[in-house]
Amino acid sequence: MALTLVIGNKNYSSWSLRPWIAMKANAIPFKEVLIPLYLPGSSEEILKHSPAGKVPILIDGDERVWESLAILEHLAERFPDAKLWPADRRARSHARSVSTEMHAGFVPLRNHCTMNLWLPPKARPMPPDVLANAARIEAIWADCRARFGQGGPFLFGATFGAADAMYAPVVARFHNYGLPASAKTRAYMDAVMALPAWREWYDAAMQETWVMQHNEPDWPLVRGKPVE
Amino acid sequence: MSLTLVIGNKNYSSWSLRPWIAMTAAGIAFVERLVPFETPEFKREAGAAGKVPLLIDGAIRIWESLAILEYLAERHPQAGLWPADDAARAHARAIASEMHAGFSALRGHLPMNIARKVIVRPLAPQAAADVARIEAMWADCRARYGGPFLFGPKFCAADAMYAPVVSRFITYAVEVAPGTRAYMDALTALPAWRDWCAAAVAEPWLYAEDEIDWPQVHRA
Repeated sequence: MALTLVIGNKNYSSWSLRPWIAMKANAIPFKEVLIPLYLPGSSEEILKHSPAGKVPILIDGDERVWESLAILEHLAERFPDAKLWPADRRARSHARSVSTEMHAGFVPLRNHCTMNLWLPPKARPMPPDVLANAARIEAIWADCRARFGQGGPFLFGATFGAADAMYAPVVARFHNYGLPASAKTRAYMDAVMALPAWREWYDAAMQETWVMQHNEPDWPLVRGKPVE
Repeated sequence: MSLTLVIGNKNYSSWSLRPWIAMTAAGIAFVERLVPFETPEFKREAGAAGKVPLLIDGAIRIWESLAILEYLAERHPQAGLWPADDAARAHARAIASEMHAGFSALRGHLPMNIARKVIVRPLAPQAAADVARIEAMWADCRARYGGPFLFGPKFCAADAMYAPVVSRFITYAVEVAPGTRAYMDALTALPAWRDWCAAAVAEPWLYAEDEIDWPQVHRA
């Protein structure tokens, strides 16, 4: 049975990026359904697919799975060869802790630096709680890379796994909002952004025309230009 | 190697209740280490993420309640922490994740406070929307899988994730449907629930952040 992934705008929907890039990077085939968010009828369209009313939603036969982390767990079970979680028990438990910390946490960073891939990258002044989030994330990445990252450029080595997918939108935020990044952080970001799956998502985002004002920090500039 | 679970105050730490009740109800043995909020022990024990609960299994340290539940489900497959059926398990994970990352209006408006005297707290609109969504989710699960718990006769990880919500509904006398009440009754009849609550009300510590009428403290 083919999988269908229901997602929001590629430029803005950070939650959608997570399962999408995990599947693409690991060659798990699926059909994509994109529902542009915050337009008349968007909510009704999403509710047709899931009572939680949120994207992403994975449709697997009769099963509807929502919440990016639950989707990743489901995919990890269904496609064990993709190794979305590390094989080693200790590494796997660590991957789940950092993924879950992302899933529920870093609210100041998420609110202040909403994902916006076409935002011209430059350093922007940040409140202390956002900087504290960024510092904690850098520490998580450095720790994962040092302890489990041998053999590849990603958090747990050679495979772009579920933990990397959970942090992929954070990579975008570090990049677009110019958050302070050590050389090690930058190297990890470069590895993620060099993935063909990343490029594919990014190129599609650049083609989008839907503008969400509340996710445009430079408003009335969008993509570096005044809104027409 | 025995497991150690580091938790915060039983009266206030909703995240701590989740793995604790899952393990206790499933008969998974562990040593409990309670570190009260705002103490040096808490800072020392809470680990790099600065948070409880924390599960220690030899050299392995797992934080975040949901990650702990996944770890326990792998380590104790016979405990049945997730439903055995694929579709039910995917559903259980979706609602567990929705709880883990969501309902911030409800969590902010009705902090867990087991020892508090039961007093109605009128719901702000966003908190009321959270309650409605939770009631709908519970009703859907119990209708599909037969109850009395969310995924059938057995208390599972998804129930553990929602256990603090049950406590909040009780403490703040949230008006709920009969089906919701039946679920709450099933959960509060668990010996593990009663043990946790008995310990919570015996605690001496007050935590201003979760006392909504601070400096007034209401006790039963």
